Amino acid sequence: MEFSAEDGDTHNVIDMTTSEKVVDLLNQAALIPTDAKLAVLKQVQELIINKDPSLLDNFLDEMIAFQTDKSIEVRKFVIGFIEEACKRDNELLLRLIANLNMLLKDDSVNVVKKAILTLTQMYKVTLQWLVRAKAVSDMQEACWEMVTQMKGDVLALLDSENDGVRTHAIKFTESLIVTLSPRVVDSDVPKRQESDITLDKVPKDHTYIRYDVLCEEGKSALDKLLKFMVHPAISSINLTTALGSLATIARQRPMFMSKVVQAYETLHANLPPTLAKSQVSSVRKNLKLHLVAVLKHPSSLEFQGQISTLLLDLGMPQSEITRSTPPPREHRKRPRHEQYTEGKKVKLEQTLMEDDEDKEEPAPLSAPKPAPVPVAQSAIDLTADFLRPLLNADNVANLVLISMVYLPDTMPASFQATYTPVESAGTDAQIKHLARLMATQMTAAGIGPGLEECKARENEASKEGANEDDMGSSDSLIKRKVMVGQAISVVGGYSEKEKAPNLAAVKRLPEPILPSAQTKLAGLTGRKKVFRLADVIQPLSETQIERLTSKTIKRILHSEKTITQSGMSHVRVKLLSKLVTQFEGIMKEDVLHFILEDIRSRSELAFSLLYQEYNTYLSQLPSGLLDSYDQCLYTLLSGLQEKPEQKDGLFTKLVLEAPIITESALEVIRRYCEDESRVYLGMTTLKELIVKRPSRQFQYLHVLLDLSSHEKEKVRSTALAFLKRMYEKDHLRDYIEKFALNYMQLLVHPNPPSLLFGADKDTEVASPWTEETVRQCLFLYLSLLPLNHKLVHELASVYTEAIADIKRSVLRAIELPIRGMGMNSPELLLLVENCPKGAETLVTRCLHILTDKVPPSPELVERVRDLYHKRVPDVRFLRVCVCVCGPSGEGSSSVSPLTPGDLLIALHNIDSIKCDMKSIIKATNLCFGEKNVYTSEVLAVVMQQLMEQSPLPILLMRTVIQSLTMYPRLCGFVMNILARLIVKQVWKYPKVWEGFVKCCQRTKPQSYSVLLQLPHTQLASVFERCPEMREPLLHHVRSFTPHQQAHIPASVMAVLEASKKAEAKPAEPVKKDAPHAERAPLLAAAEQAQAQARQQETRTVATHLVEEREVAAVEEEEEAEEEEQQQEEEQEQPMEQEQADLVRCEETVKVPLEVEMARGDETPEPEGEPEPKAEPKPDPVPVPESELEQQAEPEPDVQPHPEPQASPKPEAEPAEEPMETSEAPPSDSQETPKEDEDQDPVQDIGSGCEGAE
Amino acid sequence: MPSHPLRVAVVCSSNQNRSMEAHNILSKRGFEVRSFGTGSHVKLPGPAPDKPNVYDFKTTYEQMYNDLVRKDKELYTQNGILHMLDRNKRIKSKPERFQSCKDNFDLVITCEERVYDQVLEDLNSREQETMQPVHVINVDIQDNHEEATLGAFLICELCQCIQHTDDMENEIDELLQEFEDKSSRAFLHTVCFY
Repeated sequence: MEFSAEDGDTHNVIDMTTSEKVVDLLNQAALIPTDAKLAVLKQVQELIINKDPSLLDNFLDEMIAFQTDKSIEVRKFVIGFIEEACKRDNELLLRLIANLNMLLKDDSVNVVKKAILTLTQMYKVTLQWLVRAKAVSDMQEACWEMVTQMKGDVLALLDSENDGVRTHAIKFTESLIVTLSPRVVDSDVPKRQESDITLDKVPKDHTYIRYDVLCEEGKSALDKLLKFMVHPAISSINLTTALGSLATIARQRPMFMSKVVQAYETLHANLPPTLAKSQVSSVRKNLKLHLVAVLKHPSSLEFQGQISTLLLDLGMPQSEITRSTPPPREHRKRPRHEQYTEGKKVKLEQTLMEDDEDKEEPAPLSAPKPAPVPVAQSAIDLTADFLRPLLNADNVANLVLISMVYLPDTMPASFQATYTPVESAGTDAQIKHLARLMATQMTAAGIGPGLEECKARENEASKEGANEDDMGSSDSLIKRKVMVGQAISVVGGYSEKEKAPNLAAVKRLPEPILPSAQTKLAGLTGRKKVFRLADVIQPLSETQIERLTSKTIKRILHSEKTITQSGMSHVRVKLLSKLVTQFEGIMKEDVLHFILEDIRSRSELAFSLLYQEYNTYLSQLPSGLLDSYDQCLYTLLSGLQEKPEQKDGLFTKLVLEAPIITESALEVIRRYCEDESRVYLGMTTLKELIVKRPSRQFQYLHVLLDLSSHEKEKVRSTALAFLKRMYEKDHLRDYIEKFALNYMQLLVHPNPPSLLFGADKDTEVASPWTEETVRQCLFLYLSLLPLNHKLVHELASVYTEAIADIKRSVLRAIELPIRGMGMNSPELLLLVENCPKGAETLVTRCLHILTDKVPPSPELVERVRDLYHKRVPDVRFLRVCVCVCGPSGEGSSSVSPLTPGDLLIALHNIDSIKCDMKSIIKATNLCFGEKNVYTSEVLAVVMQQLMEQSPLPILLMRTVIQSLTMYPRLCGFVMNILARLIVKQVWKYPKVWEGFVKCCQRTKPQSYSVLLQLPHTQLASVFERCPEMREPLLHHVRSFTPHQQAHIPASVMAVLEASKKAEAKPAEPVKKDAPHAERAPLLAAAEQAQAQARQQETRTVATHLVEEREVAAVEEEEEAEEEEQQQEEEQEQPMEQEQADLVRCEETVKVPLEVEMARGDETPEPEGEPEPKAEPKPDPVPVPESELEQQAEPEPDVQPHPEPQASPKPEAEPAEEPMETSEAPPSDSQETPKEDEDQDPVQDIGSGCEGAE
Repeated sequence: MPSHPLRVAVVCSSNQNRSMEAHNILSKRGFEVRSFGTGSHVKLPGPAPDKPNVYDFKTTYEQMYNDLVRKDKELYTQNGILHMLDRNKRIKSKPERFQSCKDNFDLVITCEERVYDQVLEDLNSREQETMQPVHVINVDIQDNHEEATLGAFLICELCQCIQHTDDMENEIDELLQEFEDKSSRAFLHTVCFY
């Protein structure tokens, strides 16, 4: 046709292209995906239906071919196309209706729903087309036949299993009812549907379409819908839909209004029990909405009472109801009919007839035919009328009582939602309503006088009707038979009795357009359902599926033995692993559980499963997840980990052969390593991983590193041992080292970081450092230190930054590693040489450790000396030097630059301005500590030499007393020294003099002879200090022979007897001393008691001090250091500190010497091993104890003083300048406040002869 | 899965807060969504409860924004209205009235019962044409920002569940029941037809 124009005529291009375009588009459509296909097909539809309908016929087949498309959307499109095409050209119905029929039976509910919607339109289109046709062809008849049959199919779909399909079937039914009933005056007519065919437009004398049959079909459809609605298990949506449909029907076909209202009433009283609470609300809301819609309709007049009651029950206020009630004028024309009609049904029928009359001449059959009685309504009416007089108080009460028994336990949701209190109980209106409600129920239940009567009437009516039908329709029947010739009865399609005509019809039904072999099938399925598997079988529920699969797997699992015997276990293993990995669900757990029950013999399955999981993961890359694999590996490893020890190494095997070690698997390995009984095996496995899986070795290594600070000693030490070995590997070295240093670096924090407390406590921990946490940071580092000496500098830098507590712990912890490094370590020497500021104590400690058991090397000594001389002129280093030198002096004097004696002398000669006295004292104490070096001989030489010096060293007497304490047998020698000191006018050196007196005091009576050598003024001074010495000395002198006594100078004797004179002579001293004397007995007793108490206290304190020694030592060092750094200027000078301590001790314990003693005994070593150090020391403790009494005695002056202990400040102040205070001549003590006097000895002892006893 | 993407409408009274919040979230999740109000006017809170700012549906969000900035910038910043308008104008230019929209939807979600009633009334008053069903679900959401956000997520979850049903109409009832149990809210649900 158009193709002819193709030759050159460009003007025809437009024409051509429409056709060509369609061809092109159709070709495209066959090959492209759904979305694009739809777009293309829509274009085609536009082109061939709207743009150029002449093409429609041409391309119809091609378009319809898409109804077998795989896509639901395309099939739905085809349905839409059929609708459009048929509307455009009704003739196409003949060709397409069968296709629509096919699609109505499509597998997809969405296609079916669309087909139902289209059929709703097509039904009307077909009817109209046939009605318009003057003569109906066979083809048209067949077409109508098929449409009628499809209508029946859709009505049957009201029982479909699919909710949505039912919903659509309801809407179809609604439309059908409207179409198959006449439009009347009051009918609402939607504008769009104005031109739609309705029953009133069907000529009653149509050659083929029979008005009355259609009318009956309409009514029957309504009955079907009403019946559908009272189904007890109707879904909420279906009910809603039906409610809406009924409202539409009532408004468009007022003659059905009574049935609708009654249906609403019934529903309201019998909401389906299956509805949930919210659904009840939704349904009630809909009911209200539709009732109002119906009420607004002018034809609602006579139902207004019922509707209002319902609306009131539904909770609508009366005012609103009134507002929705149509104004009475609209009803004005109605009363005319009602006056001569008895019942509503008659009236309705009248209306209908009236309308009919209005339009065309009355149908001959409708007039004689009795009104199609709304049976149920009248039954309810009759029963209600019957019940009303019976509802008196007694009966109602009885009814209530009886029904109480049947009340359900819980209030049904529908009741709860619908219950509204009865407002007008007992009124006539209410009784009427109640009667009606009961009648509704009874009729619904099939009982009641009304129903019986109606049945009787119905029977009669049907008899009559049958007769009438016979008579009335005989004409038309004959007519039809004549006209049609064939026995295709419209009635037949409706009254299901006739099977034969249907069979006949099958042949004549329109054939769907189908390119494929499906045509035949479709023809066959015209009536009978095709066998579809999906129709016969029901899908299993999820739980069923699960149960079945689980059972299947279990069977395979437990067939273990049988299969093994048959030698096919590898197949079983493979089958299991494949099955299990393919499907999710609990069977995976089942299998894993099964494996773990006896993993040894089922390891093959375990590995197979694991590999299969991994395989699945790989096959899904890159989007695949490891979850499933991870779960499998984790479960297996945890299972093994939780099982008691197994020696088969399966755990290791599994770890090493697993394709990937996941995070959680690594966690299990870690747990395994933390198990003390398996730590070695676990870490060996971990080591293997580190070595053999280089790609993630650091991840594994990290676990091992983590374990190196584990709280369990065994775990830790094993981890450290492994790490040490790995440290030798170059590629791991850096990582391990960095980890160790990072960990140690934590020590600079003021509080231990939460990291140290495990992952579970991830809050910032404010708790202070403890020995344990400090060590935790050091374990790894310290074990690496001997392997890499260079690391020692890192320790020093951390040390300088760390707080005191940490420093102390560090000092304690480093012993073994430092010893391990040895004093020849160049790095260690370098550290000593460079000694970073703040690390002095660390260096000191190192030196101590190094030289504790071995003599120091010349290099070391060299460096220490250098350090002392060049950089840090701190006596503490000299102390170290002492320690270092001491033994070396014995071992190889050639090496040592000093002999022990020289050293001690040198210490005495240190300028006390340059170096604080306290440190010097400590240094000397250190010397005294080396008993094997400083023998009595050495000390004698030292004393000898010191005594010969001029001026006398301040510490001389301290050393003398100390020597005496250590070697009492030196007593004679000491006496000699004392005597020679007198020659040297020892009293010119206040400090030394102080010690001299003290020494004499301690060495009495041997010292008496020395004392007697003193000039009388000095002797007086002695008594000034120790008045109690006088009496024994005097006694001693008196025991001399007269000859001997003669040698005593008179002046001396005078001093000896001085007190007597003083007592007798001067008033002042008497005054002064008198109270003293008077109080003496009392005081003596008190003093004694106090002394005893003190003694005890001292013991405790001493013990305590011994215990605390280490701590104190480090603390002192700390303080010294801090002061050095001048970080805290308020910090007292060490001397002051010591003095203050002294005072404090004195105040509380009054045994400063003992305290000092204890302190003095302190070696500067913050020993890591307190026991060995503590043991040799205890001897000083008993010593002061024995001396306590002696010591306590000289202090009675303290007692009379009003508040000696209450004034620590004045006591402390003089302590700052001990030299000055000591200069205060003891002789003018009369004037000097006693406080000072009391203070002096203490002061002096503190500064000069501290701890000398 | 349904054969075509769900056409969703979210409706509240002024097409400002609740419906727009849901519109925002739903469109981000890839839904074909529109939003509406059912009120006769667009009302926004004013300086006092009895002095709301009233606009008609022709006013753009932008215009409202500017108007409120002019009236009392601090107040409307502080109560979040300006922020909301700002969000809204990024989504579309002005509020839409449900009753004026003749497009078809598969699912209409209303944000309060009054709106649900109005939607039902409107849908039922329309002439039926295609008989295409539209499901109307009411999710009660209080008209404040927080509830709007929570509600929007609930709506979104609901829509996602509905979108993922094989046969929405057949499963929606059950789905809503589950949702009611889960969220312990009651949903009104009905079906209307175009």
